[in-house]
Amino acid sequence: MNAKKEHKPVDRRKFIQNGMRLTLGASLVGVTGLASLKLSANDYVWQLDPFKCVYCGRCADYCVLTPSAVKCVHAYDLCGYCDLCGGYLKPDANALSTAAENQLCPTAAIKRKFVEDPYFEYEIEEDLCIGCAKCVEGCSSFGNGSLHLQVRHDLCVNCNECSIARVCPADAFERVPVSSPYKIKGDFQAENNNPDPA
Amino acid sequence: MNKTWINSIIGLLAIVGVVAFGFWLSKDPTDDFQASLPGADNRQAGNLIQEIVRIGENFNLFGAKAPEMNGTWSRFRGKNFDNIVSEKQNLKDTWTGDEPEILWSVELGEGHAGPAIYKGKVYLLDYDEESREDALRCFSLADGKEIWRRSYGVHVKRNHGMSRTVPAVTEDYVVTIGPRCHVMCVERESGNLVWGLDLVKEYGTEIPQWYTAQCPLIDGDQVILAPGGSTMMMAVDLRTGEKLWECPNTMQWKMSHSSIIPMTFQGKKMYVYSADGGVCGISASGEDEGKVLWQSNAWNHSVVAPSPVVLEDGRIFLTAGYGAGGMMIRIVQNGEQFDVEVLDEYQPREGLACEQQTPIVWKGHLFGILPKDGGANRNQLVCVHPDDVKTMVWTSGKDHRFGLGPYLIADEKMYILDDDGTLTMIKPDPSGYIELAQKKILDGHDAWGPLAIADGRLLMRDSKTMVCLAIGK
Repeated sequence: MNAKKEHKPVDRRKFIQNGMRLTLGASLVGVTGLASLKLSANDYVWQLDPFKCVYCGRCADYCVLTPSAVKCVHAYDLCGYCDLCGGYLKPDANALSTAAENQLCPTAAIKRKFVEDPYFEYEIEEDLCIGCAKCVEGCSSFGNGSLHLQVRHDLCVNCNECSIARVCPADAFERVPVSSPYKIKGDFQAENNNPDPA
Repeated sequence: MNKTWINSIIGLLAIVGVVAFGFWLSKDPTDDFQASLPGADNRQAGNLIQEIVRIGENFNLFGAKAPEMNGTWSRFRGKNFDNIVSEKQNLKDTWTGDEPEILWSVELGEGHAGPAIYKGKVYLLDYDEESREDALRCFSLADGKEIWRRSYGVHVKRNHGMSRTVPAVTEDYVVTIGPRCHVMCVERESGNLVWGLDLVKEYGTEIPQWYTAQCPLIDGDQVILAPGGSTMMMAVDLRTGEKLWECPNTMQWKMSHSSIIPMTFQGKKMYVYSADGGVCGISASGEDEGKVLWQSNAWNHSVVAPSPVVLEDGRIFLTAGYGAGGMMIRIVQNGEQFDVEVLDEYQPREGLACEQQTPIVWKGHLFGILPKDGGANRNQLVCVHPDDVKTMVWTSGKDHRFGLGPYLIADEKMYILDDDGTLTMIKPDPSGYIELAQKKILDGHDAWGPLAIADGRLLMRDSKTMVCLAIGK
């Protein structure tokens, strides 16, 4: 008996099928590789510098997403925990309360919680935040500036040309390395490698 | 397709339409909305910790001596309530090298309380965070050594500083108001307690946000206070603490951060107070002493820190931060009555407005620093004419911005302290911004406490440290 396997000639159909499989596999590997390279450490994403921001409100209107990928974030270590909070209450509010008519935020995205007399804690509900910067203006003008805006990278689609950056009057938008995607105020700034500032 | 089929389809569509319409009608698109109502923050009732406060209960004598000097800066905004040093100082025109020299410095409790100076002694109502006491501290102006301290236990939590008032000093007495509205009178030299008064306990005063900032006013033998609560304004005998008159608070206004400023109009002396709720003038003499001469709630803001600026022709300039802006009013005598006319009212970006400090009248013009919400000129020193406070005569420019710190004029020089402890000396002049010198003096933050100058020495502070500078020639 001949132990040698008999060489079977490949027919044309089989050859084309194998070729297609190989091409598809190579394409998938290539696309996956390119995708992984897209957000490599050397790549850049959009972010806004809160120290340049002039709270013009355009982040809410010009982002390609609705609501905007720009959200308010809170540097708790800078916050004064004031009862009379310029970022939460309208100027000359009737009362220092959570009533709608006293709140500055148009979507009630800031939650106010009593800690102990005379301190209150303020928390941003990001699903409701539209990035209008009204609270940022109030906090920066009358408080410590702990409320500030940031591009949230779990939402941002990282357009090649950011439509907010095009209209930002303060040139606050810039490309930052994906390894340091946030420019957070306060002590958290030292740890801005953390991709989630919340 | 026969007629039965067509009718069936039309009937089915009609039923679907009616059901859809009914669903649309019954569905409330706002049913998942949540109402923002008061109380969602779970605010607890009550004020700060209730405690028994024995005003002036403690005394420490440290034994330091103070060489007697001549100069005085005896109260908030000085002798004439204008924040201008009236005594000739012979101050340096510029600083070189290490100037101005820091003669001494002392550590203080966190706050913005300003010093008063009287003949070689410095008086400051501090808050001692360690022993939890309001402490009237007496220092030697010459070397900063503490001479004595009169204090009392009171619990004050950190809330953008604790202390924030300036004592009122006479030859014989010192009067203070503490963060939680405790008034204390002591003998100036010895520090012996004369009397005390708890405004919250006796008058139901509501302690303002970030604590009391009203500075006591001594007028002759009377101490004039504006407690809010049950009493709009009152006079206390300086020597005994006896209440001389009380003006009921029928307006139900609250104590603000502003201080009482005396004014004489058409020969009538009055006390002007910009409260949380309105502005009023209370008779300071005569048969109607202690009565309301005029009042207006046209000026109604929840946080008012600057004091009223009394101008000529019965005009009073009012300003405040937190979006309030400015207002010019005029007092008009109408027979036996006084009426109030609002001449102008505007937003902070439309004219002169100040958040914490009170503007200074100098050479017929008003000088002040705009707040952060002051538009393009924000944080700039500006000069306006009282006839048109909305038109800037000049601004310091975008390269010369300041913060919420104090400013004061002495010897035709204006000293401006920035939040970060940078001191700027300018020549105050209606013709333009003329900077003479600038130097970073302090390393701290929130340098907001009022300045004091006497005997060629400038006292200034940030939130934790007070220094004495040699600014004389």
